[in-house]
Amino acid sequence: MALVEVRKVTKTFKKGEHEITPLREVGLEVEQGDFVSLMGSSGSGKSTLLNLIAGIDRPTAGEVWVNGQDITKLSRTQLAHWRAANAGYVFQTHNLIPVLTAWENVEMPLLLLPLSAAERRKRVGIALEAVGLSDRADHYPRQLSGGQEQRVGIARAIVANPTVVVADEPTGDLDAETTEQILQLLVRLNRELKTTLLMVTHDPHAASVAHRRLRLEKGQLVEAMAC
Amino acid sequence: MLKFAPYIMKSLWRHRARTVLTVSGTAVALFVFAFIGAAERGLADMTRGQQAERTLIVFQANRFCPSTSRLPQDYEVTIRKVPGVADVLPMQVYVNNCRASLDLVLFHGLPAERLPAWRELRLLQGNRDEFDTRSDAALVGEAVARRRGLKPGQRFTIGDITVTVVGTFAAATPAEENVLYTHLEFLQRARGNRLNEATLFEVRLQDAAEPEQVARSIDELFREDRVPTDTRPKGVFQASVVGDLIELIGWANYLGYACLGLVLSLVATTAVMAVQDRVREHAVLQAIGFSSPRIFGMVLSEGILICLVGGMLGVGTALMVLWWSQLAVGTEGVTIALGPSWWLLFQGLAISLLIGVLAGITPAWRAATAEIVTALRAE
Ligand SMILES: Nc1ncnc2c1ncn2[C@@H]1O[C@H](COP(=O)(O)OP(=O)(O)OP(=O)(O)O)[C@@H](O)[C@H]1O
Ligand SMILES: [Mg+2]
Repeated sequence: MALVEVRKVTKTFKKGEHEITPLREVGLEVEQGDFVSLMGSSGSGKSTLLNLIAGIDRPTAGEVWVNGQDITKLSRTQLAHWRAANAGYVFQTHNLIPVLTAWENVEMPLLLLPLSAAERRKRVGIALEAVGLSDRADHYPRQLSGGQEQRVGIARAIVANPTVVVADEPTGDLDAETTEQILQLLVRLNRELKTTLLMVTHDPHAASVAHRRLRLEKGQLVEAMAC
Repeated sequence: MLKFAPYIMKSLWRHRARTVLTVSGTAVALFVFAFIGAAERGLADMTRGQQAERTLIVFQANRFCPSTSRLPQDYEVTIRKVPGVADVLPMQVYVNNCRASLDLVLFHGLPAERLPAWRELRLLQGNRDEFDTRSDAALVGEAVARRRGLKPGQRFTIGDITVTVVGTFAAATPAEENVLYTHLEFLQRARGNRLNEATLFEVRLQDAAEPEQVARSIDELFREDRVPTDTRPKGVFQASVVGDLIELIGWANYLGYACLGLVLSLVATTAVMAVQDRVREHAVLQAIGFSSPRIFGMVLSEGILICLVGGMLGVGTALMVLWWSQLAVGTEGVTIALGPSWWLLFQGLAISLLIGVLAGITPAWRAATAEIVTALRAE
């Protein structure tokens, strides 16, 4: 069984009279240690799919299995606990809590797990080291550049050693040079820490760093040609 | 939950102007509330309890101010014979101001040798023996002593009365600590020739006696005598004397509740704003694994914290002012002591807590039950 298995997932949004169905019986398997990129036109349902896998949204029909567990069957609170231990989420912007330092932001998910203060300190240290921001631990988000803020977001996503890390257009707001840094960081984390990664992007270059490239078209997933 | 304290504190600190304003508003309101509570409590102390129910006061009929009640002292002998009466104490009362006043000075003149049997006083300063031997001696209640800065050895004049302070005392109820005890005869002389005259008699009942019935018997005895009397249980007597004040305090009570209502809406507004500001932040927290109950708890804690800090400031200040000033509202020789008490502190903090919970509950519920995806898309 694959690490992530999306089985015949349909997602329908009701907007007053009419319905939108961005995902129609979608199936997807992601293996442990994989790095998958997901492209598709705006409104094609990329974020929706990512949200289902990260457990912050529920499908209208179908199942999402992660690490042998059908997360669509969990209660709201169970799902929250599941996310704390199993899912890392990197947003496009405004990832961080503005009142907390980089260190405290990264520590947040660990506060939800049964870890000692010493263990937490160790893990936050490692995560910040991994994204190359050990020297910015005491900085607040407003004191960081866009790229640095994104790296802290990535550190927070990986700090709890989650089963899967999803990133929704993590480079969407960055310039070319910073984009390259973030992409290299993701590649390295995937290679060295064996982090399973799912990344949504509009940028073909960004998509090209992944092992597997997928496209969402008309509610269906198709494998994209390697370029 | 303690692990999240830094986040909660920093969130409050981010909007410090708002937080400080809300805290001070809460403090002011709870200050007022505690003050009103002190008055209410003083009133309750006065009319409740063994003393208030099992002691009768014999006063001249149709008189209210102590200066106008003039009973022959030999009534004492007659009252003693009434069935159910255990003991009788003649008293001369002098008050510096017969109208409602915040600084009442109240003299109680009684036979010096009978003071220990009738009043449970704990001497704080000075000498008890000196009270018995010195004719112009006064034992001063702690509240008056503090308010007027009186110490043993000092002479103290008010109106046409001058006494020598020989000691200060603490008593069971704050109201008693507003009294200066002198010799009966001293006060009779000082008030112009009123020897053999008492303002009132305190009557102690035998265990089985029925207060109302004894009171009726006493009044019956003197109906046709030189001066008719009006006898009532101490609590009832005092309550009737300060009737106007009771009404006032009852009124003030509503103002106190209005203050609490104000705090509730103030804190609720702050809590609502704090949640609206952070729709995305709460969604991000949920996305990284914060459960709904946890978010609920964190938002609620913010409101509770604001209220408790405000409450502590307000109630704390009120208690300090009350302790320091030892105020007593009085009229016609009966005082209602406004004193600090643990109960006021407890009540104030409990109410702050309750307001914090009530104010935060709806915003906290909103934040906790928000759909993550919708909230993330909101920006
Ligand atoms: N909470 C929602 N309520 C209503 N409609 C929604 C909701 N979320 C998504 N949709 C709709 O579902 C479709 C897919 O949205 P989604 O955000 O997944 O697209 P996307 O592929 O991520 O687009 P983009 O590249 O612009 O981010 C869109 O038409 C969107 O309007
Ligand atoms: Mg999207």
